Amino acid sequence: MTDTLNPGSAKVGSQVGRSVPRLEGRDKVTGRAEYTHTMQVPGMVHAKLFRSTVAHGKIKSIDTSAAKKLPGVLHVVTVDDVMKVLKSPYYGPAFHDQPILAHEKVRFVGEPVAAVIATDPHIADQAVQLITAEYEELEAVYDEVDALTSKVYVHDVLKPAGTFADLKHLKNAKDTNLALDYRLRRGDFDKAYAAAAHKFEHEFKTQKVLHLSFEPFACIADYKDTHVTLYDSSQGPSFVRTEIARLLGWPENKVRIKVPYLGSGYGSKLYIKLEALALALSMIARKPVKVAYTFEEMFYQITRHPSTFRIKSGVDKDGKIVARKCEVYWNGGAYADIGPRVTQKSGLTAAGPYDIDNVWIDSYALYTNVTPAGALRGFGVPQLVWAYEGHTDMMARALKMDPVDFRRKNIAREGRPHTTGQMLKDSPIEPVMDKVLERMNWSQPFDKGSGTVKRGRGFAIANKAVISPTTSVAIVNVSADGSTTLYCGTVDMGQGSDTAMAQMVGEVLNIPAESVRVTPRDTDVTPYDMGTLGSRSLFHMGHAVKRAAEDARDKLKALAKEVGEPEGSNIPIADLFQKRYGMQAGNVIGSGIYKPDYTPPAPGTGQSPNVTPFWMVAGAGAEIEVDTETGHVKITKLINVVDCGKAINPKSVETQISGAALMHLGFTMFEKMHIDGGQVTNASLADYKIPGFHDVPAVMENIYIEHDQSNGPFGAKGVGEVATFCVGPAIANAIDDAVGVRLMEMPLNAEAVYRALRIKQGKPLENE
Amino acid sequence: MIPFELAEPTSLAAAVKLLDPDDATIRPIAGGTALMLMMKAGVFRPEKLISLRKIESKYSGISAGADGLRIGAMTTLSALEQSADVRKNAPVITRTLLTLSNVRVRNVATVGGALAHGDPHMDLPPVLMALGATLTVIGPKGERKLAVEDLFAGYYETVLEKNELIAEVHVPAQGTKKASYFKVTTGSADDWPALGVAAVIEGDGKAIKSARIVASAATDKATRLKSAEAVLNGKTVDDKLLKQAGEAALQDCEFIADVRGSVPYKRELMKVYLGRAIREALGGGTH
Repeated sequence: MTDTLNPGSAKVGSQVGRSVPRLEGRDKVTGRAEYTHTMQVPGMVHAKLFRSTVAHGKIKSIDTSAAKKLPGVLHVVTVDDVMKVLKSPYYGPAFHDQPILAHEKVRFVGEPVAAVIATDPHIADQAVQLITAEYEELEAVYDEVDALTSKVYVHDVLKPAGTFADLKHLKNAKDTNLALDYRLRRGDFDKAYAAAAHKFEHEFKTQKVLHLSFEPFACIADYKDTHVTLYDSSQGPSFVRTEIARLLGWPENKVRIKVPYLGSGYGSKLYIKLEALALALSMIARKPVKVAYTFEEMFYQITRHPSTFRIKSGVDKDGKIVARKCEVYWNGGAYADIGPRVTQKSGLTAAGPYDIDNVWIDSYALYTNVTPAGALRGFGVPQLVWAYEGHTDMMARALKMDPVDFRRKNIAREGRPHTTGQMLKDSPIEPVMDKVLERMNWSQPFDKGSGTVKRGRGFAIANKAVISPTTSVAIVNVSADGSTTLYCGTVDMGQGSDTAMAQMVGEVLNIPAESVRVTPRDTDVTPYDMGTLGSRSLFHMGHAVKRAAEDARDKLKALAKEVGEPEGSNIPIADLFQKRYGMQAGNVIGSGIYKPDYTPPAPGTGQSPNVTPFWMVAGAGAEIEVDTETGHVKITKLINVVDCGKAINPKSVETQISGAALMHLGFTMFEKMHIDGGQVTNASLADYKIPGFHDVPAVMENIYIEHDQSNGPFGAKGVGEVATFCVGPAIANAIDDAVGVRLMEMPLNAEAVYRALRIKQGKPLENE
Repeated sequence: MIPFELAEPTSLAAAVKLLDPDDATIRPIAGGTALMLMMKAGVFRPEKLISLRKIESKYSGISAGADGLRIGAMTTLSALEQSADVRKNAPVITRTLLTLSNVRVRNVATVGGALAHGDPHMDLPPVLMALGATLTVIGPKGERKLAVEDLFAGYYETVLEKNELIAEVHVPAQGTKKASYFKVTTGSADDWPALGVAAVIEGDGKAIKSARIVASAATDKATRLKSAEAVLNGKTVDDKLLKQAGEAALQDCEFIADVRGSVPYKRELMKVYLGRAIREALGGGTH
């Protein structure tokens, strides 16, 4: 279902805008597609990991003697062995804080402490069970708010990687768990809040949840003295190459990262995960070494950030929000991973899609003694929207204002500044909200249910700034027979990027998308890309691909002229090469680079006239039923609306919306890593459930509007994350509408709703 | 692969002989849906597995007679689900199977395995217990009869010796009794239940002559709710009675907390779903 607003001027249509079936679809459904997790390399051996059972402790001893004796075991490796081949065993994108294997200390339950390399993964697994370790246990810190003031420090000294300017001041910092303190200041919050007619203050929380890719983490490293090859389930091969080269002290051209298809990623396979470990193990074994996780091990690699968001708003007598203060605490776990970027990049939109003159944002990345947290489909934004859209509804309710009217009064419209100071453009928040309301029949009377089943409805809106500045490079190669190959580093992990990129090439060169070959990712041949993350690829890589195709087209035109073809000649491309080279020979190579303009936010205020090249805009509406005797919530209708600029592949846009929304439905309703004393108590798919077909709402609509993205390739922008933003608060707002209880923490499971109902009745349920 | 021995005896008697009452590393394996998970998790490392797949085919059959249903222990859950005899004689079993795990598991998991595993979260045991089913158990000394009600000794524990195997399940003829089963999940729709409640009622309209009610999943083992039954037997159902029965049911249960809910919450679910199971049985079709 589409509404096209503000159609673009570019005339497109031969390939762009067509629901081309996935180019790799047949290979995938017939089991032919290659994945790292199932890949074999000749001579390959296998590694399994021995993990910490304490959340925070000094390693007193590790006994590997019994494991070493098991037939089939080649090496049992601790960090001491790693440091013989890699002097500094620390890695990470923001901080070089994560050791390849625990070094002197352990910082979370599940942290790798030793590795067994064996001829068979099951032997390695059995040997792991024979390893023992002794720890001197230290006090641990788990909660993100506690971590800010705790005297328990996860790291003795902070070690910023040096890549991000806003982390430099943390170099060698001691006695802190703070891995970034982002701030934004606009206007004068204190003054405006003091003068406001109505004041509101709420605290929202989100829980620890997991990406759970269908393909667990996997990496095969094949180290030779002169070069190294990694077969890697990675969303960002370019970054992996840079980081592996740094660890080895080698130039990048001696490091090759090959990435086949990914069994999804959702942000979990970004930056560097198993690669440094696999490298070290291959250096020790002097053989290709495969590290491949089980599903259970995925609970100890990377998760989404739990968060606490304290939000304060001042509203004037007419219902206009005049002041807002956001304090966001991000529970980053034991190693920073990309947490500081989540803290900053989502932090800048913490005040929501509203026009507020006086804004104060503090966003804190905090170390704690749990599994590290990183990017998960939304880069922190879903946690923020959960808070600010709940807060918005709660204020409207308290002010006795209609939630639609209240939002309309406060929405930041085009031409008005965002809280960062950037003027909003191509940010159709109100049209997206109106589409949600139209599909919800919002203006019609609503049946609130009866007896023990009460009904309610709610909605939410949100925006996000795409991460910036980032760079993509692409190459289009036209062979002498006229066939075309695209080299681009965007990793197709199920989102359909290969197909969309091929469509853009096809559009420019006027050839069918199906005829374009997209090479598998291989840093020896594929040019640089910052990473497949944050909904950036269709926009950034899309631009690079379009430019590369245009470059190839221009060169083909020049070739035609060179061989004496008249202007506008439709001679087959193969004949051009034949004429020029006298046989089927030669290539035309087009290349394209894209990096958007960017102005770094001013230190201290976060103000910038150009902080992002595009805004993602989303809305969602939910109708629900609450069983007041048990707290069970049934979602009877879920409407998801996003702005996609221009749908390059309409079918892929729809599936991105439905996939994102259903993933977030799981986070909203039931997914939760239960942690007791630092130990994850439900670290298996038997006890950590994700949505299945029976959890899909009876009515679910996945709708996009097309508001031409004026600076986008063919008017398009990315949609990988955008439908995750609003599902949670829309459902929480609907529950409040149905039964008058407000849940401030996800998940909204039956027990949580039931307990809230009992509190409302003045008869709280005892705890245990 | 860590080696273990796999025996594939062709008779149940031979299988029994291969088992050792004193060796926990020798285990029978039927569908393997539970055992394989335990092996993958490293919780169970067998020396020897005795596969039951090749034993006599009569242990995978279903027959119906005047005295009820006879179900071979090796019958797969999907065969049970698709059996016309089962649908006719105990349709509550057919209904239960529709939401029991998923089709892939049902295609290989067996009736005997679902009982012998002793997992309190299974859906079939409470239903069979409420239907008054009995087992034929075969051991080295021959066969014995055992009520499903007496099978479970605790959390993942049964009264079976390590060298005894369930051969057959007998579900007695239900006559005019009516039945229901509720699988109550608190996570995803296909999660393990937080509570299972099975009710089999002999009654007339809203009058209950006798009821057999069983709770599972929230409890350490599938548990017959005799106190609740005592409240209901001989009474006519109304809100007050069901409330009383729900309160009484709490006395019969040993609740356990897990990721699916706290004990106080599971107690509330028990109270509510006891009443719902009774009403569903009385209002629904037979058995």
